[in-house]
Amino acid sequence: MKLAGKTALVTGGSRGIGRAIVWALAREGARVAFVYRSNTEAAEQLVKDLELDQRETLAIQADVAEPEAAERVVEQVLETWEQIDILVNNAGIIRDGLLATMDAQQWQEVIDTNLGSVYRFSHAVTRPMMSQRFGRIINISSVASHFGNPGQANYAASKGGIEGMTRCLATELGRRGITVNAVAPGFIETDMTEAIRNVAESEIMKHVSCRRLGQPEDVAHATAFLASDEASYITGHVLVVDGGLTLGGL
Amino acid sequence: MMSNEEILGKIQGILIEALGADDDEVTSSATLVGDLGAESIDFLDIVFNLEKEFDIKIPRGELFPENLASEGDGLAADGVVTEEGLERLRERLPFADIDSFANDPQVANIQDLFTVGMLVNFVADKLNDTE
Repeated sequence: MKLAGKTALVTGGSRGIGRAIVWALAREGARVAFVYRSNTEAAEQLVKDLELDQRETLAIQADVAEPEAAERVVEQVLETWEQIDILVNNAGIIRDGLLATMDAQQWQEVIDTNLGSVYRFSHAVTRPMMSQRFGRIINISSVASHFGNPGQANYAASKGGIEGMTRCLATELGRRGITVNAVAPGFIETDMTEAIRNVAESEIMKHVSCRRLGQPEDVAHATAFLASDEASYITGHVLVVDGGLTLGGL
Repeated sequence: MMSNEEILGKIQGILIEALGADDDEVTSSATLVGDLGAESIDFLDIVFNLEKEFDIKIPRGELFPENLASEGDGLAADGVVTEEGLERLRERLPFADIDSFANDPQVANIQDLFTVGMLVNFVADKLNDTE
């Protein structure tokens, strides 16, 4: 097990890609805390499933867009397990709309949740990770930051911001044994992509070299690798997990 | 009560770990940036480790204040710290050797005020306050 003895925190962990990441880290031996916002049922089910599988876990309810949430959550993890080795900034939302009609709230909610939370959670773990001389910060970006998807100016801006922040943090923290990377998923089969899958799946699939939809586990495995000791010399990198979607082939 | 020598010993340990310095380099008069190669992130690390080692609280900017003297605020002119600027430095860095610095008060050399000895005096004062 690659992550035995490690402690991880995953934001947006009760569903979709986050849930798969929680499982992937737990199966590699990490104790995993995850943050969920509103879906208590999904969170409780995940805790139950993990415990049935003899995994040590902690579910924490918080809205990552709230300014104080990160400090409180990180404190709770430290109080429980006294260390925090891996942070996966996964929480993300979409509020799609053409910019001409996108209101300020649509813009701000996405920026606060997707980008602001990466700042706040990374800030909150920096100190304990620096003291430990070890840390892994993995930010979940999106290939949407590379494309010009109409209707996703807010989402693309938040994800592009995450990738820039990833590189800056990597240079700041590398000397302290902390690596900072991003994973950029392509078209993954989750609740978030359901609406677009219903209308454009066959069209999108033509551009996916692997000719299948991505599964949350595809992203989770890449994340678990970046969290492991095997990835200790990789930092500031954006690992694209998209089955070839961004290669531009047909 | 901890003696200054004991404090120095602990601070040497912190700096060796944080900066990768050799133990014979970490003398009282050694400057953190010039002699020991500290960068901005190291200041943060040093503060964290001092807090942990000595069980003290160091508010942001208290030990390593930023923007100590700039041309715009009248504290420096032509790259030299003014009299007013020196007075301000004495207030903001009460444990630094401002008298020696005043002999040639180049703005570019302000970072040399951060020495190992300054850290020792700062910590000694903090420990005094808490006793």
